[in-house]
Amino acid sequence: MLGYALWRLLQAAISVFGVITIVFVVMHFSGDPTLLLVPQGASAEQIETLRHQLGFDQPVWVQYLAYLGGLLQGDFGQSVVQRAPAFGIVLSRLPYTIELAIGALIVAIGVGLPVGMLMATYRGTALERALAAVVLTGQSVPTFLSGILLIMVFAVQLHWLPTSGVGDVRFLVMPSIALGALSMSTFARMTRIAMVDELGKDYVRAALARGLSMRAVVLRHVLRNSAIPVITIAALEIGNLLAGAVIVETVFAWPGIGQLAIQSIQSRDFLVVQVIVLLISFIYVATSVAADFAYAAIDPRIRLAR
Amino acid sequence: MSAADRPLLSVEDLTIEIAGASVVDGVSFAVQPGEVMALVGESGCGKSLTSYALLGLLPDVAERTAGSVRLADTDLAALPPRRLRKARGKDISIIFQEPSASLDPLATVGAQIAEALRQHEAVSRREALARARDMLEAVGIPDPDRRLHQYPFELSGGMCQRIMIAIALICGPRVLVADEPTTALDVTIQAQILDLMKRLVAERGTSIVLITHDMGVVADIADHVAVMYAGRIAEIAPVDDLFARPAHPYTALLLASVPRLDVAPKATLATIEGLVPSPGDFGEGCRFTDRCPLASERCRAEQPPLFEERPGHRTACWHRDRVGEIARAAA
Repeated sequence: MLGYALWRLLQAAISVFGVITIVFVVMHFSGDPTLLLVPQGASAEQIETLRHQLGFDQPVWVQYLAYLGGLLQGDFGQSVVQRAPAFGIVLSRLPYTIELAIGALIVAIGVGLPVGMLMATYRGTALERALAAVVLTGQSVPTFLSGILLIMVFAVQLHWLPTSGVGDVRFLVMPSIALGALSMSTFARMTRIAMVDELGKDYVRAALARGLSMRAVVLRHVLRNSAIPVITIAALEIGNLLAGAVIVETVFAWPGIGQLAIQSIQSRDFLVVQVIVLLISFIYVATSVAADFAYAAIDPRIRLAR
Repeated sequence: MSAADRPLLSVEDLTIEIAGASVVDGVSFAVQPGEVMALVGESGCGKSLTSYALLGLLPDVAERTAGSVRLADTDLAALPPRRLRKARGKDISIIFQEPSASLDPLATVGAQIAEALRQHEAVSRREALARARDMLEAVGIPDPDRRLHQYPFELSGGMCQRIMIAIALICGPRVLVADEPTTALDVTIQAQILDLMKRLVAERGTSIVLITHDMGVVADIADHVAVMYAGRIAEIAPVDDLFARPAHPYTALLLASVPRLDVAPKATLATIEGLVPSPGDFGEGCRFTDRCPLASERCRAEQPPLFEERPGHRTACWHRDRVGEIARAAA
């Protein structure tokens, strides 16, 4: 088990290193960044001076090592727009995105899991068909549209909720629904498939033969066995939520890293963009490691396998 | 009828339909206390469905449309779901063909045995585990203290079937239904599991309804045999009488197709021509007609009832007096 954990962490470290390298290469070959940083109409001499300051006149491998060295010391470079450390800028926005992601996960898991379980347990009934319609809606309406529709109905027409911005928990409701709807559908479908699959297995009939009620069989045996595919989806969905946050944060004027990403791309503040890309990649890797540890906790076949 | 010779388990006129076709049709048999009743037949003859119906465990597509399953004085088929659940595992238990798949892969062996006990008796977790351990010993599992905390994937198929038997018997049921319990196992393990079942019958007086397609298993363990064909009972008899004097052409051909050591090596193994008709193609008459060497017009038109050929030996054949010809031709 310890060997498994160490091996998985080593793999994760290699993934993170790979991401860092790819980001560096893409940035480096996408053109001379100095030109993006100088004001229009700058003289060749000014450009050359800045290029030297930033170290872009050095050979590629020297730049790469300097970049890695900087990252190891927590130096992610300066935002040229805000004249402040890029990492600090991203970090100051992160709590908002985490808040939004948690809200969306509550919608996605809190609604998606029970809906999927009900669909599996009551398959072939009117209830399943009604829930399938909900799932299909959540999955087919794009985030920018559902966000605007929510604002129109609940803020503009009914005045129940604020249109946008941050504040108390009421501000969080609509962005969480808009962001979580797609994941909710994914959770519902995966939970349903996983449970239907498990319900058809021999151990379910054997547990019923012991005198257990269907409810007890589902709660004690089927749910745990259905968990592994659902955990896989959960790990992927957390990454998708962060990607979806870019749109939702723009629609709802939510000051998280999604909005920051759009602003930074528009103002060519590429070191901030780089930090966001690295951060999201890191979260992806971390959630997939967490999922692997969760498999091991649930399934003795993984935990005890050599 | 006095209480003494009243059967423990009595199945009457059991009929199961799938999509409107009767895949089990009017099946009746009775099992005495401590007796082994074997249900024999080819794949698809309805023997497994019959066994599931005894505990009300039919799959969703199948429906019991008639019949009773009387255990002592209770008709299990007429019980409401709550009461039926109380009987399952306590009065009547079942073990299945795929022992490894019949255990929850994520729960320890001990937890699954204890679960069966705690479902029916108010015992503490600790006491349930202690009794699970004793049960493991009783079904011949070495090192039970260690096995208790192992998971199904760590055990062989034969071990898993012993554990299924432990689960099935821990509440002391009067009837054990065994659906092809040894089919998925190696031959040597098969023999061990059959020995274990024989011992349990002897020690505890448990009656067994054994589903199998293996005539060797029948000869080894059964007291009575019901031969099923296409959802109906073709012949039902004490095991010795059935082997010695089969009174239905299907039984006679089935026995003739069992490989034997005393005939010349490399001799062609006898087979029964043709295939079991599918449920949609059942005609009015005897369902074995198309494959039967004795078939006549009457067989095609009219389903034969079960005739009492000898005491306790009944057969559903119009030409039961000529079945001896088949047996002699095969010998």
